[in-house]
Amino acid sequence: MAMRAALRCLSVNFSPRLPQLSSAAQVSATRLLCRSGAPRTLSTTSGQCTALKFTEKHEWVLVESGIGTVGISNYAQEALGDVVYCGLPEVGQKLEQLDECGALESVKAASELYSPLTGEVTAINTELAENPGLVNKSCYADGWLIKMTIERPEELDRLMDQPAYDKFIKSLEE
Amino acid sequence: MLGTFCVLSAGVQRAWSSSSCLFMDPSSPGLVLQSQSTDVFQNLALEDWIDAHVDLQQRSILLLWRNRPTVVIGRHQNPWAECNLPAMRSAQVPVARRRSGGGTVYHDLGNLNLTFFASKKAYDRRRNLKVVTDALRRVRPQLDIQATDRLDILLNGRYKISGTASRLSRKSSYHHCTLLHSADRSAIAVLLRPSCPGIRSNATPSIPSPVTNLTDHAPSLQWEELLEAVVQQYSSEFGLTSSSQCVDPADEALFPGVGSMEAELRGWQWTFGKTPKFSVETQLELRDERPAARCSAQLQLEVKNGRVESCRVEVPATWLPERLSASLAQALLGERFCPHRAAAALSALLRCESGPLHSRLRNLCDVLVAAMG
Repeated sequence: MAMRAALRCLSVNFSPRLPQLSSAAQVSATRLLCRSGAPRTLSTTSGQCTALKFTEKHEWVLVESGIGTVGISNYAQEALGDVVYCGLPEVGQKLEQLDECGALESVKAASELYSPLTGEVTAINTELAENPGLVNKSCYADGWLIKMTIERPEELDRLMDQPAYDKFIKSLEE
Repeated sequence: MLGTFCVLSAGVQRAWSSSSCLFMDPSSPGLVLQSQSTDVFQNLALEDWIDAHVDLQQRSILLLWRNRPTVVIGRHQNPWAECNLPAMRSAQVPVARRRSGGGTVYHDLGNLNLTFFASKKAYDRRRNLKVVTDALRRVRPQLDIQATDRLDILLNGRYKISGTASRLSRKSSYHHCTLLHSADRSAIAVLLRPSCPGIRSNATPSIPSPVTNLTDHAPSLQWEELLEAVVQQYSSEFGLTSSSQCVDPADEALFPGVGSMEAELRGWQWTFGKTPKFSVETQLELRDERPAARCSAQLQLEVKNGRVESCRVEVPATWLPERLSASLAQALLGERFCPHRAAAALSALLRCESGPLHSRLRNLCDVLVAAMG
């Protein structure tokens, strides 16, 4: 069920509107999210973009040109239910890793958001003000939450890659 | 009245000298606490403290509390849209923003608040509500009590006696709900209406419902009886021994750091500054006495983080020169969206303007201030 959900998310998300990824990076990010057994490769397109990394709080980070885009995973958006409001930090706000930086409100609860990394917020997804449901419909693309600088790249290295995150989710479901 | 809230049932109240004794007693996998305070900020701070500091992986906690008259708004709501702040100021009823989601409620000493703390894994609102509905059915079997899909509790299928909200954090969760025993319903009608007209916002709205008190339908139901029933039902549902402990949420020794949590909740920044961006668009009715004349003006404001981010006041040039209405709008920029702050900012402008336009300018200021709730 999780795989079908991931594939569904994939087909909705990886439209040409995926922000700022070169097509080669898009293909390899695609491969990463597709659990059809294709070899998982990290992007090596001129060091521009890295693979999706995940936190234990089910946030993902995608880095391009030193800026990390942050969102929540499909597992998280399914657990949340329909998002009715996205409380996000301010542009310019400085965050330490694990700082509370906002909340996503759904019919289930107000769920705290935790910063996956240390850095400064450079952008927030203003589409979510009118359309908070994007977090459910397109959690890996149009439903992104914030962009931030990456002050400590070693924090990024310690996050889970796709296979590790898949394993992590499996362990939760047991 | 405060003293009678701490109901001691079968258990003996022990003097807790530190929170580690209170929360790590191996003999009790669960705990029922009753707050001695009727201050909403102290009680909300206690919730935050428990959520942040108690290991809920192995145990559950039920906190029972009530507040002196207060309006409590949800995490992402707009207080100006949800409640009548000028009326509340006159009545000395504060507004508090809680950390959980959901809508606006009125609390007073006739409303019981229940907070169910658990790990995220054990988060189960229906099970919690079953504690309440089963308790009510046990003490008053003749009452028609049902929990809905929205997790309200209805009496006789139509009157709301309880609403629910919750918060999920790193490892833990809390689900809290109200329970109307004998609250002042007329206050609800007066206070839960907008402060000012013309608010447009994407903040989470409240869903108004007709409410009733349990005592309207079961007049003999005493407060202590209700508490006792809930405590016993919680204990039997969660397999605990039935006893409850009174706590003082302002006790810094028992709850180190709770004071600064309370200060944050009480502060303007959290209560008003956290309001999602909104706009106000409304018509202002202006008047002059000598000679008697009237005129309509348009006000348009954007409020971000509780402060005026942009302001336009469109007054016909025949009523007031544009430079005056423009400087008025300018004077409000960056000020808190608040009638007192607006009045202070505008009074400086008023002092500079004497002569025949003064009374019209003064009238415009008064009407503007009134439009800010």
